[in-house]
Amino acid sequence: CLDIFSAEMSCLHLDEDSFFECCQHLLKKSEELRDGWSWETVQVRLRMQCKCTHVCKDDDADEGAVEINCPAAEGGSHLCFQFEFHVVFSSSYRTPVLYFRAFSLGKSLSLEDVWSFIQPKLRLTSQDALLNTITQQEHPLLGQAFFMLHPCKTQDFMRPVLQTAQQENRAVNYVLTWLSVVAPLVGLDVPLEYCSDLRPGSKPD
Amino acid sequence: MADDKDVLRDVWYGRIPACFTLHQDEVTEREAEPYYLLLPRVSYLTLVTDKVKKHFLKVMRAEDVEEMWFEYEGTPLKWHYPIGVLFDLHGSNSILPWSITVHFKNFPERDLLHCLSNSVIEAHFMSSIKEADALKHKSQVVNDMQKKDHKQLWMGLQNDKFDQFWAINRKLMEYSTEDGGFRYIPFRIYQTTGERPFIQKLFRPLSAEGAVHTLGDLLREMYPAAVPQEGEEKRLLVVIHGIEPLLETPVQWLSEHLSHPDNFLHICVVPTPSD
Repeated sequence: CLDIFSAEMSCLHLDEDSFFECCQHLLKKSEELRDGWSWETVQVRLRMQCKCTHVCKDDDADEGAVEINCPAAEGGSHLCFQFEFHVVFSSSYRTPVLYFRAFSLGKSLSLEDVWSFIQPKLRLTSQDALLNTITQQEHPLLGQAFFMLHPCKTQDFMRPVLQTAQQENRAVNYVLTWLSVVAPLVGLDVPLEYCSDLRPGSKPD
Repeated sequence: MADDKDVLRDVWYGRIPACFTLHQDEVTEREAEPYYLLLPRVSYLTLVTDKVKKHFLKVMRAEDVEEMWFEYEGTPLKWHYPIGVLFDLHGSNSILPWSITVHFKNFPERDLLHCLSNSVIEAHFMSSIKEADALKHKSQVVNDMQKKDHKQLWMGLQNDKFDQFWAINRKLMEYSTEDGGFRYIPFRIYQTTGERPFIQKLFRPLSAEGAVHTLGDLLREMYPAAVPQEGEEKRLLVVIHGIEPLLETPVQWLSEHLSHPDNFLHICVVPTPSD
């Protein structure tokens, strides 16, 4: 199992098989943590999807939601949005890509809403920079409108992590490492427990 | 070759006559006349329909107007696909002018991307070009370009300036003679049926042995049903820019000459018309 990870690291890219391996490992952990990730197959392609990960402050129902300050909401009040996250493999960039959408009482989150909570985290000032980072895109497997974090910079921020790991002869789960970087930007929680027992080959506790 | 350069021009100046009609449920103050327009195949619906919007807004009250969107025979038209792709995919059996229905309310949130300004179209267009270059040159060409070059590609498309666009775009079409083509061919195969909106995978212009890959090779790998077996009746048409290229055509040539300005080769597979 470890071979897959070293092979993947040596070229600093992800291929579809490694993506599958990484996701399987992540899903095993998710099953223990019960945080909602599941694996779905659309014809031959695959995606990992997660519905609801955060629990709204005022409402501890089973179904999670993220509370965001939504300027579009009436009276500037807070709305509880139900988020849906998908991780899809991009063969063009050879990276995972994060897609998400969110609804609240039949209203879907707008790009401006998304920008308003992402902007402070990314410290992007111009609209151009925002448009190059996150836009609405067609989900490549579902054909529906989702927001997408653009993958064109993914390799840049993954490279140092992978190179260091390679020097230290340490296994890295590409998908998990990547997710721990991008998820906080969109309010998705990746519990620290994921990072224990990283090696897919090692025995469960 | 001089002939091949003409192909680029022909592709760029491809037009589809269209008739825009307001949907019957839209509230108007007086009757809305249809609006006729020649649509550039390589452009985007939301980029070339300012006049359509102005035309219908004249007969509508501001409070009845939300984001404009288009539909053909019940199918919402995805503005982020090039117009020619939408027509080949949904409208090629229709009589001309192509009859498009205009809506100003009930925006189909699930199916369509919002498009409230041209900067959204620009971002979409540039992200396609970047993805195509990731496939063709590991992003090296597009990353080496200056911001003004990116702008020139977009302005060329927006203002329908062939020379302005191609002055920069030719760099995205270069490859070394020893490679014999791009790293991978940026392509998408669209179909009207099937749960996935399109097929997009890695495909090289040459085989491992160095043989030229053709359109037929691409289809046999990605969409075998589109290539009829010997003696079998042809049930599906393979259409690019409204024509059916020969299956023997090398994919590298197609990628260089029949790609849309977004640098993707958009291939539509549609049923043969039954009369």
